[in-house]
Amino acid sequence: MSFYECLKAFPEGSDSPSRLALTAKRLGWQGIIICNEEPRSVFQIKAAEKVRGIGVAVGAEVTAQNARALHSRVFALRARYPLITVRGETDELIKAACEDANVDVLMLGQVWRPLGIAQARAAEQNQIAIGFDLSPLIRLRGSSRSRWMEVAKRNLELARKFHLALAITAGVRSHLDLRSPRDLVALSEVVGFEPSEVDEALNLPARLLELNKRSWIGPGMELL
Amino acid sequence: MRSRLPVLRAARRYVAFEVDAEEEIEAKDLIHEIRSSQVSLFGDAGAAGNRLKLISFQGRCGLLRCHGAHVQETRAALAAIYSVNGIRVACHVKGVSGTIKSATEKYIPKLRKISSENDGRRIELEEISGCIVHTHGLEIDLCPDERNRTKGSDTRYLGLTSFDLCGGHDDADGTSDGL
Repeated sequence: MSFYECLKAFPEGSDSPSRLALTAKRLGWQGIIICNEEPRSVFQIKAAEKVRGIGVAVGAEVTAQNARALHSRVFALRARYPLITVRGETDELIKAACEDANVDVLMLGQVWRPLGIAQARAAEQNQIAIGFDLSPLIRLRGSSRSRWMEVAKRNLELARKFHLALAITAGVRSHLDLRSPRDLVALSEVVGFEPSEVDEALNLPARLLELNKRSWIGPGMELL
Repeated sequence: MRSRLPVLRAARRYVAFEVDAEEEIEAKDLIHEIRSSQVSLFGDAGAAGNRLKLISFQGRCGLLRCHGAHVQETRAALAAIYSVNGIRVACHVKGVSGTIKSATEKYIPKLRKISSENDGRRIELEEISGCIVHTHGLEIDLCPDERNRTKGSDTRYLGLTSFDLCGGHDDADGTSDGL
């Protein structure tokens, strides 16, 4: 099992990739994937490669105004980056992301409505993983956190029903947001995840990274 | 309270943890925040089953006593801490042990406090510039001149490493850490 964390680096977060890599290595991660919205403008990405003993990859996170813009942005980034995540903030974006086979992970962060049945079915057909961003569990307190946990539990039940792959992140923007894999297991168990599900969810980004680095020319067909 | 029979005593575990903080924090504030996090996450009934006690805290590393069957809950309560008394922190569990002695020997290194003194050195790069607040090994915390650079992530300082600075500026004084 190799655990990778998806995170944001400077200028979208407040830490350089090398600082995040150092902290992640200390906490027991095998690698980090920098998923900035503008992956080309990540600060000093070459410096992160000097940190030994941890893998550093660059992916992309897509946010868009509407579905049309989302599809074109995902299509433009697909060939260049091995991991494409979409931050689903509105119903329209979530629906569009579930129907786009080029998307790898649909991140459900501060979404206060659970995923719909039709969207889950579309995600199953297009093999899109559902990402759980646990940052509201850390940042919020009281009724807003219990509301978030309720929505997360509903999403988890739906993901189990439709056999969707799961991903878990801590919504990292600085080294103070990073949590170790075992801490994320403990936090996820509070939400209702099984330990085996969490292990697979933490392993998913590494698995996707490896799959996407190979050249696929069609579903199930690889160019060797 | 009279001491209970050894067979009736609950097994205890000692959780060694490390605190990453932007500034120095007090042990009193930390245990208050740990208890508040535990009660918020598991409720009063959950907290009653797992009485936490801060055995020691020395600026960066600390030792927490918990019930043997609730170690995972203790981990979750520590991981859910976001700030202590308005200062951004992150608590990382370093290890769990059955006695104070073994936990201290295995997981708690030599005392090292976090200080937030301005050491007077500056960094001037194309993208960022600012004063160095503290350095710790390869890690550097930078107070940026433009305060809105850390806006989205709710931190006070920018986290860099000396890898980012090697050959960064002509006026670098040629020290091994690139500052």
